[in-house]
Amino acid sequence: MKKVLEGSHAVAEAVRLAKVQVISAYPITPQTHIVEILSDYVTTGKMDAKYLRVESEHSCMAALIGAQSSGVRTFTATSSQGLALMHELLHWASGARLPIVMAEVNRALAPGWNIWNDQTDSLAQRDTGWMQLYCEDGQEVLDTTIQAYRLAEIVNLPAMVVLDAFYLSHTYEPVDVPDQDEVDRFLPTYEPAFILDTKHPYSLSPLVTPNAYMEMRYDIAMAMDDALEQFDRVEDEFAKIFDRRYGAVEAIDCEGADIVFVTSGTVTSTGRLLLEELRPRGEKVGVLKIKLFRPFPVEAVRRALGKAKKVVVIDRNFSFGASGIFAQEVRAAICNVPGHPPVFGYIAGLGGRDITVKLLEEIYFDVKGSSAPRKESIWVGLQEVNRAT
Amino acid sequence: MEAELGLKKNLYMPRTSVTTESNKTGSWRFLRPRYEEKTSPCSTACPAGEDIARIEMLITQGAFKEAWETILRENPLPGVCGRVCYHPCEGNCNRREFDTSIAVHTMERFLADTAARNETKPVLERLPPKGKGVAIIGSGPAGLAAAWFLNMLGYDSEIFEAMPEAGGLLRWGIPAYRLPAAVLSNEIARIENQGVRIRLSETVSASRFEELKTSYDAVFLGCGYWRNIALNIPGESGSGVEDGLSFLKQLRQGAKPDVRGVSAVIGGGNTAIDVARSIIRLGGRAVIVYRRRREDMPAFDEEIISALEEGVELRELLAPVQIAAQGSDCILTLQQMKVEGRDRDGRGRIAADGTSPVEISVQRVFVATGAAAAETWHEPPPAETAGHHTAPLTPHLPLHLSHCTLHQEQQGTPIIYGGDLTNTSKNVTQAIASGKQAAMALDTFFQSGAGTIRERLSGCLVGEGPSLSMEIYMHGPRKERKTHIVSHQEINTDYFQFEPRVIQPRLLIEERTSSFDEIELKISANTAMREAGRCFNCGICNDCDNCYLFCPDVCILRGRDMTERHIDYDYCKGCGLCVVECPRNAMTLGEEEKL
Repeated sequence: MKKVLEGSHAVAEAVRLAKVQVISAYPITPQTHIVEILSDYVTTGKMDAKYLRVESEHSCMAALIGAQSSGVRTFTATSSQGLALMHELLHWASGARLPIVMAEVNRALAPGWNIWNDQTDSLAQRDTGWMQLYCEDGQEVLDTTIQAYRLAEIVNLPAMVVLDAFYLSHTYEPVDVPDQDEVDRFLPTYEPAFILDTKHPYSLSPLVTPNAYMEMRYDIAMAMDDALEQFDRVEDEFAKIFDRRYGAVEAIDCEGADIVFVTSGTVTSTGRLLLEELRPRGEKVGVLKIKLFRPFPVEAVRRALGKAKKVVVIDRNFSFGASGIFAQEVRAAICNVPGHPPVFGYIAGLGGRDITVKLLEEIYFDVKGSSAPRKESIWVGLQEVNRAT
Repeated sequence: MEAELGLKKNLYMPRTSVTTESNKTGSWRFLRPRYEEKTSPCSTACPAGEDIARIEMLITQGAFKEAWETILRENPLPGVCGRVCYHPCEGNCNRREFDTSIAVHTMERFLADTAARNETKPVLERLPPKGKGVAIIGSGPAGLAAAWFLNMLGYDSEIFEAMPEAGGLLRWGIPAYRLPAAVLSNEIARIENQGVRIRLSETVSASRFEELKTSYDAVFLGCGYWRNIALNIPGESGSGVEDGLSFLKQLRQGAKPDVRGVSAVIGGGNTAIDVARSIIRLGGRAVIVYRRRREDMPAFDEEIISALEEGVELRELLAPVQIAAQGSDCILTLQQMKVEGRDRDGRGRIAADGTSPVEISVQRVFVATGAAAAETWHEPPPAETAGHHTAPLTPHLPLHLSHCTLHQEQQGTPIIYGGDLTNTSKNVTQAIASGKQAAMALDTFFQSGAGTIRERLSGCLVGEGPSLSMEIYMHGPRKERKTHIVSHQEINTDYFQFEPRVIQPRLLIEERTSSFDEIELKISANTAMREAGRCFNCGICNDCDNCYLFCPDVCILRGRDMTERHIDYDYCKGCGLCVVECPRNAMTLGEEEKL
């Protein structure tokens, strides 16, 4: 049934439909709307779940690790500082092979205090062994959250569904909320690969010596590789029931495009408008939306960018001392392809600053007029800054 | 094995069925936490040594009967003390340094009233009968307490009361607006139900006293001070001059004397205040004339404040020098005094200021400057017989304790003097303390001789004393309590929030001054529980389970009823978190004994 939903509530509807059994969270803007409505569902009996109040995000993830180990489906949502506080346990969740699903609302890290959109918080967790799925709109948020459970439970790795602060979390859009029986057909009852059982006691994650640690890590690497294939299968199954699919990447008008913009999150929608603006004027431009960031869809990215003359990556994030993080990943993905196109990295929209069609258009003509990138990262939309000398 | 563990996929997941039980991390420990209950400062300030921290905890839990019984183990008169005690406990409350003290007296009264309303019967331990009888002279607070505790220790206690009703000063010396007669009667009925016999209208004369010595195994003398101390000024035996205690007694006997006009009340103690406030209630005007200043008055400050609220006039630094009759009036001649330095007790030293005496005209004068023993044989033997070198025949006797004196002549019947006869501070709760100490001293005397009394009693002190605990004497659980007095610094105040103290509802001033109705009104059980919930419960465990929640090694083992707690020393690493997080210092961290 179509409903006008806030992005946060699209997550909550998906969590309800996924019949999550344990929810734990610590409130943080702009994530709070998600767990607010979930706590309401638990209180009113709309969900048969346990809601654990905790004193921090660190405790929250620890609680979910415990809960998931006992064989139940779990959920949390966080953002920015909260995600950073979870960091230690993010590694634990993946190392312990627990298919926990989290909604992560991209928000800037302090200082200065900033509650607005910025991807650095989730991208800084890229090496924790969590799958990361970046969403563009409310429907994708709902669908991806349901899919994330299916995928996570197949490969036994945790998954992070990522949505932009405010642009997505607080924006109302029409969202098709599926029926419970449809979701049940897609997402079977959780069957844990292992559970902690007091009748047959054993302990997980004991001391592991150099003899075994590397194999353990290799197993996670294999699972991540497998996730790339399983993602497509999950999407196939989802499409059969719901007639919607997104792809690990979506190549929009990339065929025959000289310049391809690589985008993620809601900037993709701005990119779509850019195409509407430039294509009629004869500009050969395309957009490559990256949804799946971990595992990184290297082959799909190579295929989509293979024929482009120039690649532009819009990064709403920054890795200090290096460059925009998506740009790094794209460079790494194509660098071994002979004759690969140059990668123009642009940094835009940090801390919630708007990325407009006009800004993208300026970038387009800047790239069109440059034979090679002037710098690894070009910061756009900057105001005059008086630096201390 | 893996199938048994429910493993469905071939995940590379290290796991072990080897239990960590074999890794006894307790061997790493060099500090050892332990449960160790300590003494609350309020309980040491209570002359009766009531286990206040525990009483408040039980109220918080709604265990009103148990809380009331906990009082009764140390004090047979909670209904009385909840009303008239000067509650030194509250002055020593650690919560004062946080916001305001707990209204301990209000809680005590609530418990007594609740038990009375429900006609609750206490279940208290009583030692097997000893086959010994003790005669108790006087049914005031000291006598009632002595009888109560001796009964608890297995003695037959029999009270001789000269008046037709029991209670002594409680019945005849305290006005009804502070202590309604029904409350007192209820307490006395309970004491009798526990097995104490009270023989009313039986005055013990000197000769009857000698008889009692032969027919009882011991005699407790607690007949109080009933003889008004003379002012030694001209005219004090003239008409229009009355003694305060007799006036109060008349009122309690039902008289409604005519006190129209102005009455002067001479004195600064509680009796003077009671007389003045009673006069107001009878429709008269009262002027208290005191030779020192207000801050030097021995009366309880709350009583002085109430008296002034009700319209009593206070005139300080005026010493009476003469009373003369003039028609139906009295001319009271007063000398203006001045303060010159301090007396040994800290009060201002006074002297005539050199001006001429002033005269005031009043309708009558009440003298309430203190009382003394009615008979010389009521007085205990002097502490020192200096220059009178006759060594007592029984060694260690007479034994002068803090609240009573034990004497025995020629291996005869032991006599204990108590209450106002021996107490320095003459008030109800000190009298109860006296009765308790006497009971303990007498029991020890019979068990192991006079020479052991001091040592035995010093083992029953609440904290550093001088308050004594009967529960400790009877080897109850309180015996495990350490004497260390918990200070405010030792409370983890992170676990407490500022909360206002209960305000006990009172009659309006106009209602107070027109009747002898009790001023302070009742509070609800909810209010009592909320107020008791403010208590830090200094030094005692209230099952808050902070230790259990904070222990990172799951080493706090709880019993089936979730109250008994033990530390699993096989695994406790001695981190001390439990001790730090205990809000009330009911745990102690000590060094591990070296092996």
